[in-house]
Amino acid sequence: MRRRRRERGTASPVEALLWLGPALVLIIGVVLYPAITLVATSFSSYSITGLRKGDAGITNYTTFLTSPDLPKVVGNTAIWVAAVVVITIILSLGLAQFLSKEFFGRRFVRWAVIVPWAAALVISSQLFRLILDYYHGILNQALLTLHVISKPIDWLGDPHFTLPSMIAVGIFVTIPFTAYLFVAGLNGIPGDVYEAARIDGGSPWQIYRAITLPLLRPTLLIAVVLNMIYVFNSFPVIWILNGSNPGFGNDTLITYMYKLAFRSAQHDVGLSAAAGVFNVLLILIAVAVYLRFVNWREGSKNA
Amino acid sequence: MKKSLRWGAIVAAATVTTLALAACGSSGGSSTDGKSIKVVIAEYSKDHTKKFWDEFKKTYEKQTGVELKLQVISWNDIDQQTSTMVQNNNAPDILNLNAYASYAADGLLYDSSEVLPAATKADIIPAFVKSGTYKGKFYGFPDLSSARALFYNTELFSKAGIDAAPTTWDEFVTDAKKVEALGDGNVGYALPLGPEEAQAEFAIWLFNNGGDFKEDGKWTLNSAANVKTLEFLRDLNVKDKVTQNNPGSTNRTDGAFSLFEQGKAGMVVGFSPLQGALDSDHPDVKYAIAPMPSGDGAEPQTYGVTDYLMAFKKDGNKDAVKSFYKLYYQADQINKWIKSEGFLPVTTSGLKEFADDPKLKVYLDTLPNIHLTPTDDPEWDKVKLTIQQNIGLAVGDNGDPKKFLDDLQAQAEANK
Repeated sequence: MRRRRRERGTASPVEALLWLGPALVLIIGVVLYPAITLVATSFSSYSITGLRKGDAGITNYTTFLTSPDLPKVVGNTAIWVAAVVVITIILSLGLAQFLSKEFFGRRFVRWAVIVPWAAALVISSQLFRLILDYYHGILNQALLTLHVISKPIDWLGDPHFTLPSMIAVGIFVTIPFTAYLFVAGLNGIPGDVYEAARIDGGSPWQIYRAITLPLLRPTLLIAVVLNMIYVFNSFPVIWILNGSNPGFGNDTLITYMYKLAFRSAQHDVGLSAAAGVFNVLLILIAVAVYLRFVNWREGSKNA
Repeated sequence: MKKSLRWGAIVAAATVTTLALAACGSSGGSSTDGKSIKVVIAEYSKDHTKKFWDEFKKTYEKQTGVELKLQVISWNDIDQQTSTMVQNNNAPDILNLNAYASYAADGLLYDSSEVLPAATKADIIPAFVKSGTYKGKFYGFPDLSSARALFYNTELFSKAGIDAAPTTWDEFVTDAKKVEALGDGNVGYALPLGPEEAQAEFAIWLFNNGGDFKEDGKWTLNSAANVKTLEFLRDLNVKDKVTQNNPGSTNRTDGAFSLFEQGKAGMVVGFSPLQGALDSDHPDVKYAIAPMPSGDGAEPQTYGVTDYLMAFKKDGNKDAVKSFYKLYYQADQINKWIKSEGFLPVTTSGLKEFADDPKLKVYLDTLPNIHLTPTDDPEWDKVKLTIQQNIGLAVGDNGDPKKFLDDLQAQAEANK
C-alpha cells in the first residue's frame, strides 16, 4: 500500500535530486550563469577593447533607451515579428490541412516541406542572398525574362524592399516547424467528431470553424508563443540579408544588440548587455500580453 | 502551480535563446607560466595564412621550447573574439589586428623597449614606426602593409575610346561616363562604401583632394576639402550615375572587386592582392594600374594600410614574446609571409628584397611617403566604425555629406 503511494508521485528528496540533478546543472550553467553575467555586464563600464573599467550604474540603460536609432529598430522588430508570425500561421494552417489529406506523393511533399527546416539558418540565408542578388540573382533574372519588371530590383539594398524581403525569407524558414505542429494537432482531433458534424449537415467551412479551429486552439497557442520568441530572436536571417547595408535602418533589436557590442561606434559590451536585458524583458512582456489576450487559462484547460 | 511551471518554461526558453547570442565566446584559461603563448592571427587568405603560421609555430617551438598556441580567425570575427577574450581576462599574448591604440591606451600592451630588438625597430620603415607610436611609445608593430592605386580595365577603356588613365577628377568623371555609355551592364567606377572597408575608400579620395582626418593633432573630419570629397563621391552615384547600383551597400571584396574581376567595371581602387587574384584567377581581364587622379591639382597621394602585431603584458610571458618578435622579423620569415599573401614589406631590408619585383614597383616607390590613417589615436577606432557603419547613408539619394561629417567631427571631439 505504502509503496504504491510512493510510485504515484512522492519520491524522497534525495532521490528527486538525483533525477533532477543533470537538468539543474544544465539550467544553472546554461541559463542562470549567463543571465547573471549579462545583468552584471549591463551595469559595468567597458572600454572598446573589452576591458572592464568599473561600475556604470544605470548609464548603459539610459544611453540605450535614449539612442536615436532605437524607435526605428523597435518598429522594425514589431513589424518583423508580427508579419512573420501571422503570415506563417495562416499559411501553415492551410498547408497542414493539405498535408493531412491522403494523396499521391504525400510522402514526397512532406519531405519537401521539412527539408528547409533541416538546413541551418545561415545556409538558407546565404542561399537567399544569392537568389535576391541585384546583378546575378535568379529572381531578378526570372522577373526580367518574364517582363514583369523592366529593370532589376535591389531586393536587399532598396529601403522599400529590404524588410519585406527579409520577412519573406523569415516566413519561408518558419513554416516547416509550424506546419508540422499543426499536422500533429489535426491528427489529434478524433474522426468521429467530424462524422457527427457531417451527419448533422455541416458545410466544410462550418465544420472547419466550429470544430477544427476550436480543437486546434491549444496547438495554435503554442505555435504563436514559440514562434514569437523564435522569430524575435532570429539573428542569421537579418544579419546575413541586411549585412552589407549601412546604418541601423533595417535592424531588429537582436542584430542591433550585436552591432552595439562589436560594429557601432560605441563598440560597448556593457551597452549591448543592457540591450540584451531589455530584449529579454520585452519578449516576456509581449508573450504575457498575448497570453492574457487569448485567455491562457481557458486554453490550458483544453490542453 | 501548473501555470507557474509553464511560465517557468517560457521564461527559460526566452532567456536561453536571447542569451545564447550574448554568452557565446569564452573559452579556456590563460597561461602565463612562460611555457606557452597564445597567438591570435587574422586570416588574410584561406590558402596562405594558416600554412605560414603553422610552419612558423614549428620553428618557434623548436627554437625556444615554448608552446605556441595558434588561433587563426577570420577578419569578420576577430574583433568580436578578441574583445571577448579581453573581457574574460583571457587576452592573447600576441594579437594581429588592424588597430592597436585603444589597447595601448588601456595599458594592456608592451612597448618596443620591452620586447622588440633595437635593430628590428631601426629596420622598420619610419612611417610605420610613427603610425605605431602612441604617446611617445612604440606599441603597434607592423606585420605587413599595402598601398592602394587605381586599377582600370584597358579593354573597356579602348572600347570607349580612352587612351590613358585619368589624372584629374574631371577626367575621371568623363572617362567613367564613357565606360558607362558602353552599356551591357558595364559600370564606370566600382565604388565600395558599404560597412566592410568604407574608411579606406573615403581616405584615398580625400587624401587626393588635399584633405585629411587629422591635422596638427586636431580632428579635421568636416574640413571643406573632406566635405567636397564626399559630395563628389555622392555625385558619382546620384548625379553622374557612373557607379554600380547602391555603392552605400557595396562591400569591397564581394562587391567592387568582384565586378572588376568579371570585367564589368571600368575602374576600381585596388591593391596588390587584387592584382594577384586577377593574374591567377581572371587572366582574361586586361588591366593596368595608375596613380590616383587628383582633385586639387597636387601630386597624387598614396593611401596605405598596415596591420599590427601587438604584445599583451602578462606576468612571465616577456621572454617568450621577445623571442616571437625576434623570429618574426627575421628576413626569411616576415618576407616569406608578406610575399605569400601578396602584400608589401614594412622594413627597409624588405624594401630592398622586394625591389626586383616589377609588379610591385608602382607601390614600393611610394611606400616611404605613404599616407596612413590616424591609427595612433584611440579615438580613430571609433571614428572608423562610424564611417564604416554610416557613410553609405551619406552617399545615397537622401544622403547629406556635410551633415554626416559634421556629426562625425562632433563625435570625435566629444569623446576627447
